[in-house]
Amino acid sequence: MYSCIAQPKEICVSLQTGSFDARLKNSVQSPETKLRRMLRSGKFTVTGEVGPPHGADDDLVRERTRLVKDYCDAINITDNVRGIPTMSSMACAHFVIQAGAEPVMQMSSRDRNRILFESELYGAYALGIRNILFVTGDHTLLGSHPQAKMVYDLDSIQALQLASHLMSGKDLAGEKLEGIPLFHLGATFNPNADPLELQVWRVEKKRDAGAQFFQTQAIYDTARLEEYMEQIEPLGVKVLAGVIPLKGPKMARFMNERIPGIRISDEIVNRLESAGAGMKGEEKKEAVRAEGIAVALETINRVKMIRGINGIHIMAIGWEESIPELVKASGLYPRPK
Amino acid sequence: MLEGYEKIVLFGDSGCAQMCDVGGILQLEDMEDFLRQHNKQVLGKIFVQGGICDVNAVKQEMENNRAILDEAEAFLIQACGVATQNVTELIPEKESFPATDSKFLGTMPQRFVHQERCIMCGECILDLTGGICPLARCAKGILNGPCGGSMNGKCERDPETDCAWQLIYDRLKKLGKLDKLKSIWEIKDWSLSQGPHSVVHEEA
Repeated sequence: MYSCIAQPKEICVSLQTGSFDARLKNSVQSPETKLRRMLRSGKFTVTGEVGPPHGADDDLVRERTRLVKDYCDAINITDNVRGIPTMSSMACAHFVIQAGAEPVMQMSSRDRNRILFESELYGAYALGIRNILFVTGDHTLLGSHPQAKMVYDLDSIQALQLASHLMSGKDLAGEKLEGIPLFHLGATFNPNADPLELQVWRVEKKRDAGAQFFQTQAIYDTARLEEYMEQIEPLGVKVLAGVIPLKGPKMARFMNERIPGIRISDEIVNRLESAGAGMKGEEKKEAVRAEGIAVALETINRVKMIRGINGIHIMAIGWEESIPELVKASGLYPRPK
Repeated sequence: MLEGYEKIVLFGDSGCAQMCDVGGILQLEDMEDFLRQHNKQVLGKIFVQGGICDVNAVKQEMENNRAILDEAEAFLIQACGVATQNVTELIPEKESFPATDSKFLGTMPQRFVHQERCIMCGECILDLTGGICPLARCAKGILNGPCGGSMNGKCERDPETDCAWQLIYDRLKKLGKLDKLKSIWEIKDWSLSQGPHSVVHEEA
C-alpha cells in the first residue's frame, strides 16, 4: 500500500565474515621516514602540529613550520578540523617539506570519497609526502559549515585498507598503477572514548588495516590512558600521546563542550582560573599561559612513564610557540638528527 | 509557492501523511483555513485511503473528484515527495506543490515523535548489528565505529543523540555476538543506494 520499496534479500545461513585479508605486509614496503626510524629505534619521539592557514597564504605554513621544526621529528598537518575549511593538507605538507621538515599529512574521511582518497594519495606520494594519518573527521555540526554534505564513503579504517591496498600496486578496481605510492601509515585513537573494549578492537583493526603508528586525542587524564595502554599493549603498536597546552580556562571549557572526545577535569580548569586571579591584561595572560604550560608538562612527564608510550604529539592549536617551550622544558631537546 | 494561484485542491492520505500529522483530515482542514485566511479558494480536499504513492488509489479518488480537479489552478500535496510527484505525473497540465519536507524513514514510538531508522542503503546489514542500523543512526554512518567522539553513550554531534555504536555494542554483548565487531567491515557498495531506482517484482 505504501511505497517504501523493499526487495527480498539473499538470506545468509552461514556466518558472514570479511573477505578482505586485512593483515597486510606493508610494513616491509613502508618507506623509511624519520618518524618511522625514530619510533623503531625506541627513542622517545616528538611530533607537533601546524595548523593550516584559514586562507591562501602559504608563507604562513613555512613560518609556522620554522617555529617548531627543530623541536619535532615530524609535523602533522591537520585536515579541516571541525569542518572549518583551511588550506589543503596535501598542499601544506608540501610546504612543510619546502621548509625543511617532515610532514604527517592528515586525511579525514568526512570530505572525500574513495576516488578522491586514491587521487590524493597518488598526488601526496608524488610530492614526497610519506607519512599519512587517517582520521574519521569531526562532525560538521561542530564547525563553521554545518550545512555541508558529509561524505563518509569510507571510515578511517577502510581508508587505511585502501592506502595499504594501493601499496600493492593496484587501485580498488584492480587496475595496475602507473607508479606505486608507498607510505608510512598512521591512525589515531582516543582513550577518552567509549566503549573501551570496542575502542581497543578498533586499534587492532587499524593496525591490521596498515597503521604503523598512532597519535592519540589530547590527554589530560593519564589514568585513563594507562588503563587503555594496558589493553592495547599486546597489539605492539607505536603510540604518541596527544598533548594540547591550554591557554586558559575559557579554552578548556570550550574544548570540553565543542571538541569531540576531550575530557578536561574541573581541577585543571580551576587551576587555570586561579592562576590569573587578581591580575589584569598581559600579566594575567602570561600567568594563565604559564599554568597551561605547567599542566601540559605534568602530563608529558606522567605520560613518559606509561608503558607502551613511544612519544608525544603536541597539538598547539594556533599557539605554535608553546611547542619549543614544552619540548625544552621536558628535556626532549635537542632532537636526534 | 502559491503566488498567482487562487483555486487550490488539497491532497492528503490516511497512511504516512496522517501518521506524520502533515496530511491527515485535521491538517487538511487546518490548511484549508489557513489558505482561506490568505484569500485562496480551497475547492476541496482529496483524502486517499492508504497512500498517495498507490497510483490506483489516487486515480480512483481523482475520478470521484473530477469536477474540482478540472476547476483547480494548483494542487497542494500534504504528503511526501513521492506523493507530490505522483499527482504531477497524473495531472501534468497543472502544477502540484509540496506542503511538506520529506525527512526520513523512521519509527513512531508515540504520536508526534519520529526517529530515523533506515536510509535505504540497498544492502541491509541489520543481521550483523543486532538489529540497529549504524548507517541511519550513527551521525557519520560509519561501518567500523564508534569514532573517537563517542562518550558516555552519546554522540559527539549533540548530547541528546545516542551513539549508535554503543547501542550496537551493548546489544551484541547481550546476544553473545560481540565477535561480529572484531573483524574489519568491508568498504560498502554505495552504488546500491544511488538512484534513480526502480524495482519490478516478478509475479509468482
